[in-house]
Amino acid sequence: MSAHLDPIFESPLGGLSHEGNISIHDLTKRHRWGLRGKGAAETLRIQGWDIPEQPNRLVASKNETFVMALSQREFWVLDPHNDTAALAMSNDFTRDAYPLFCQSSHAWLVLKGCQTSALMAKVCGVDLRPEAFKVGDVAQTQMALISCIIVRHELAGNDVFSIFVDQSYGEYVLEALLDARREFL
Amino acid sequence: MKRLKNAHFGQWIDPSQTVQFTFEGELIRGLEGDTVASALLANDQWLQSRSFKYHRPRGPLTLSGHDANTLVQTPTTPNLLADRLPAEDHLTVTAQNYTGSLHFDLSRLLDWCGRFLPVGFYYKAFFKPRGIWAWWEPIVRKAAGLGSSNLSVKAAYNDKTYAFADVAVIGAGPAGLNAALLAANAGAQVTLVEQEPHLGGSMNYHAFAGDCETTKSARDILVAAVETHENIDVLSSSTCNAWFGDHYLPIIQKSRLIKLRAKQTILTTGSSEQHVVFRNNDLPGVVMCSALDRLMRLYGVVPSAPVVVLAGNDLAYRTAFSGQDGGANVAAIVDLRTTCNNTALSDEAKRRNIALFQGCGIYEAKKGLFNHGLSQVDVHKLAERGEVAEKLVSIDCGLLAMSAGFMPSYQLACQAGAVLSYDDSKSQFKLSNLPQGMHLAGSVNSVFSLDLVEADGRNAARQALSNLGVAPESETASAEDVNCTEQVNHPWPFLKHPKGREFVDFDEDLQIKDIINATRMGYRDIQLVKRFSTVGMGPSQGRHSALPTARLVAKTTDRTVHETGVTTARPPLMPEPLGLLAGRRFHPLRRTPLHHRHLALGAQMMPAGSWQRPAYFGDPKQRTACVQAEVTAVRRGVGIIDVSTLGGIELRGPDAPEFMNRLYTFGFVKQPIGKTRYAVLTNEQGVVADDGVAARLGEHHYYVTATSSGVDRVYRDMLRWNAQWRLDLDIANVTSAFSAINVAGPLSRQVIESAGCSVDLSTEHFPYLAYQEASVAGIPARMMRVGFVGELGYELHVPSPLMGELWDRLLTSGEAHGIRPFGIEAQRLLRLEKGHIIVGQDTDGMTQPDEVSLRWAISSKKPFFVGSKSVDILSKSPLKRQLVGFELDATSPQPKEGHLVIRNGDIVGSVTSCEYSPTLKKIIGLAYVHPEDAVSGTTVVIRTDDAVHAHAQVVETPFYDPDNLRQAL
Repeated sequence: MSAHLDPIFESPLGGLSHEGNISIHDLTKRHRWGLRGKGAAETLRIQGWDIPEQPNRLVASKNETFVMALSQREFWVLDPHNDTAALAMSNDFTRDAYPLFCQSSHAWLVLKGCQTSALMAKVCGVDLRPEAFKVGDVAQTQMALISCIIVRHELAGNDVFSIFVDQSYGEYVLEALLDARREFL
Repeated sequence: MKRLKNAHFGQWIDPSQTVQFTFEGELIRGLEGDTVASALLANDQWLQSRSFKYHRPRGPLTLSGHDANTLVQTPTTPNLLADRLPAEDHLTVTAQNYTGSLHFDLSRLLDWCGRFLPVGFYYKAFFKPRGIWAWWEPIVRKAAGLGSSNLSVKAAYNDKTYAFADVAVIGAGPAGLNAALLAANAGAQVTLVEQEPHLGGSMNYHAFAGDCETTKSARDILVAAVETHENIDVLSSSTCNAWFGDHYLPIIQKSRLIKLRAKQTILTTGSSEQHVVFRNNDLPGVVMCSALDRLMRLYGVVPSAPVVVLAGNDLAYRTAFSGQDGGANVAAIVDLRTTCNNTALSDEAKRRNIALFQGCGIYEAKKGLFNHGLSQVDVHKLAERGEVAEKLVSIDCGLLAMSAGFMPSYQLACQAGAVLSYDDSKSQFKLSNLPQGMHLAGSVNSVFSLDLVEADGRNAARQALSNLGVAPESETASAEDVNCTEQVNHPWPFLKHPKGREFVDFDEDLQIKDIINATRMGYRDIQLVKRFSTVGMGPSQGRHSALPTARLVAKTTDRTVHETGVTTARPPLMPEPLGLLAGRRFHPLRRTPLHHRHLALGAQMMPAGSWQRPAYFGDPKQRTACVQAEVTAVRRGVGIIDVSTLGGIELRGPDAPEFMNRLYTFGFVKQPIGKTRYAVLTNEQGVVADDGVAARLGEHHYYVTATSSGVDRVYRDMLRWNAQWRLDLDIANVTSAFSAINVAGPLSRQVIESAGCSVDLSTEHFPYLAYQEASVAGIPARMMRVGFVGELGYELHVPSPLMGELWDRLLTSGEAHGIRPFGIEAQRLLRLEKGHIIVGQDTDGMTQPDEVSLRWAISSKKPFFVGSKSVDILSKSPLKRQLVGFELDATSPQPKEGHLVIRNGDIVGSVTSCEYSPTLKKIIGLAYVHPEDAVSGTTVVIRTDDAVHAHAQVVETPFYDPDNLRQAL
């Protein structure tokens, strides 16, 4: 594992992820939560969060967090520096803003390195090159035959991809990424 | 043959490094950079394959992988092209399609029986008398001319990748290099695709009008600029194998399929050199002029035998001169024309002491007495078009290089909808009607002189940039004048011989007479000629046969070539392995949070839809005993099963009760908070689509389970329905957010209590079908009293990340109670004993609620639910089948799922579930039977394996605990 890595990257998967030019990190246990509903955007604004102006975008917000808009009415707050996951039942809701279950439902993988776009091209049909998929862009698409959310953003000074997949596919996706990465080692 | 290595000859080989491989068992020595074909030729091995139909000896024709004469096989892969296959150490190569040996092919007899195998003979044979095809088929398949697959070989690792470009340039010859460079200099992202391992195209081997040094230095500058350009992605050794809509280009690069999406496509694919059609033009040693150029300039192989050049254009003269420069003994140039376009070339031939026969042709090529290759050609004077006059001379030679002209590599353009037309007066092709964003340059655009080819490439890039809205660099902005008048195609390169064997199509062994006979049989349309004669249907896909066929058909039908047209080009351009299309093998499998814990406990996993689930725990050799022990544990003690695969859907909002009421068959508006209710879903046709349990968590809050395989469809249907109903609620698929376990058995309450539970689990406070939220072992859980397996049981749904911890705690606390994990095989048996159906297993795409006795789960008071109208209509019609329970003695043949129920000789239903019950000591099952037989005590006949009839007795369900006392403990 590289010594210069920031603490956020000190959770490589399987002892393999820091080989070569691309490292893969598991941030599944890092804090995230979400809101959906016609009042979700307003609720977040009132709470002081910066939110994207349009869907499929991500912006940096307060306390080193990110807010990701998956639609006009659905937002995820990503808190990569906080490993205190909230696993409430989300029974409290208003008719305008329903809490989401993204902490429990999705695995969160991060790809860092100079050839991540080339690696992702082996598993995903979206043009993820930096000139086409810019920092803050979000793609709700498929990779390796399963649904996923892919985001390009900066994390600890690095240009990274965050990948969110159904947690039951977490290991499968990781295996697919490690296999795709072999040629870059 | 000797080898030459200098700046202009042997450019791709490295004499300092030898490679050794075997061909037909013989050791062949080649050089690094050789292909198998070039190494064989360097060893005077011209015979490399046998032809498809007549098994005639064949050798390389193009040396560019554009003909089928070099099809060979390795132990792992059939149908490789020897002129594309790199020569490597330890490679084992064999020829294909022979009986006996390559040199002594017993099937050569077919060549002598050619008169009995006329064109289209297979349409007239093999089908009479009736059934004879079964006898012919293995013979015909064996004679199909291709290699044999080695089925024991482990599939190679193939993968796919996506790529994107502003401009895709297909072909890295002079036009392609110039196009790529100009576009990239303007800022466009360019992908340059080249079939060969090195860039340069014809600049690598062809002697253009200027001297070799000029061409070489121009090429080196271009290649260096392209290879170092940051905006150009070079894909060498790659084939663009098709064009699909919106410039979607599949590119094969070794074992990878690149799916390139470009905004603009520039085709600089060049052209295919055409052969002259004369007797024995297929002998090993008869090659295209460009093949001789490649052989000498790329691989440094210098023919030791005399060379004759058969020219249909000026370009062939340059091959002769180039060959002589490289040390070949060029004995003669035989020109089909009476004069050169450029008379300086004939003067140059004389200056070089090369015998020149103008207005002449090769009437026949002859093989040697003791080998299969060329040894002599007969030169005849040509009279009028197509008429052969007196013989002038026979020339001893070992190699004949010919060029009748060039046909654009039109396939990709025509796949994109372009039209290929032919100017009969100039014998020239033109591609028109190109789709938006496609451009042509170079010889595919019928431009042949080097300076014009380069300018044409730059012009194509300018057009592409204009379409992209990108301005070229100012100094290269202006379009250049490209007006190529050079005629390269001879109008009639046919020398018909009374003994035939003048091959039009080498792949399919088709001669002049075959094409003519096809038209005489009434096949005037070029497409019908193709289908009847199979011309152009071999691996070369008509690269060399399309033009001569069009000319022959045109002549015999009194039309022009323009009117006749050419056959349709369809993807793929080159043969492609199926494994490449399959790519990496993605097998998406879902794992529950307990997956590794199950493995640690000895679970035997099985697929359940997209999930991996434990079938049972224990030694596979003891499978039955393991399953029965798990069943016994649940019936007598306590078991625990991972049911995380169960679908979960969260419905929240003021209209959630109304939504539930409209969607499911039961009434849900008045469902008490803290209670669960069985929920059946029918579709608009009144068919049972799914089922589950709906728990009401609050006034406006439901948590509904669905079947593991059906939840995605149920969720999708919910969203679809609410898009119409516009009710005020949120619908969330929380299948993965919550994981679940079922603790079942008479001791289940004690186990949970001993783990620590925040609620009173007694029947009074937590009765059957109740719902509570609680803390179990300190973990927040949604708890449901369920009875799927017919015992006291609690289903615990917790946030997925916490499931592992809960499982561990319950196993620990249950240890004292003998808790045992059980898998889905035990679960299926347990629920069968209770007579519970599984939607999808005991129902099918036609099952209506009454057939499976679900009338009780349908509210008759509601005005509407999805499918209600259909259910009403169906219920008024008599049933055609009914699902019943049946039992058999333990000694009876055990029916399997899908076995048929027979009544008076007719099929009336089938078995949907059947198991041996260790609890009941008999075979029990569910089956669809005739409604008149759905009466307890009736005997029904089930046809089991080997057509053995089992006489089962219809019984009431549940089989076990009919009064439902145990689940309500």
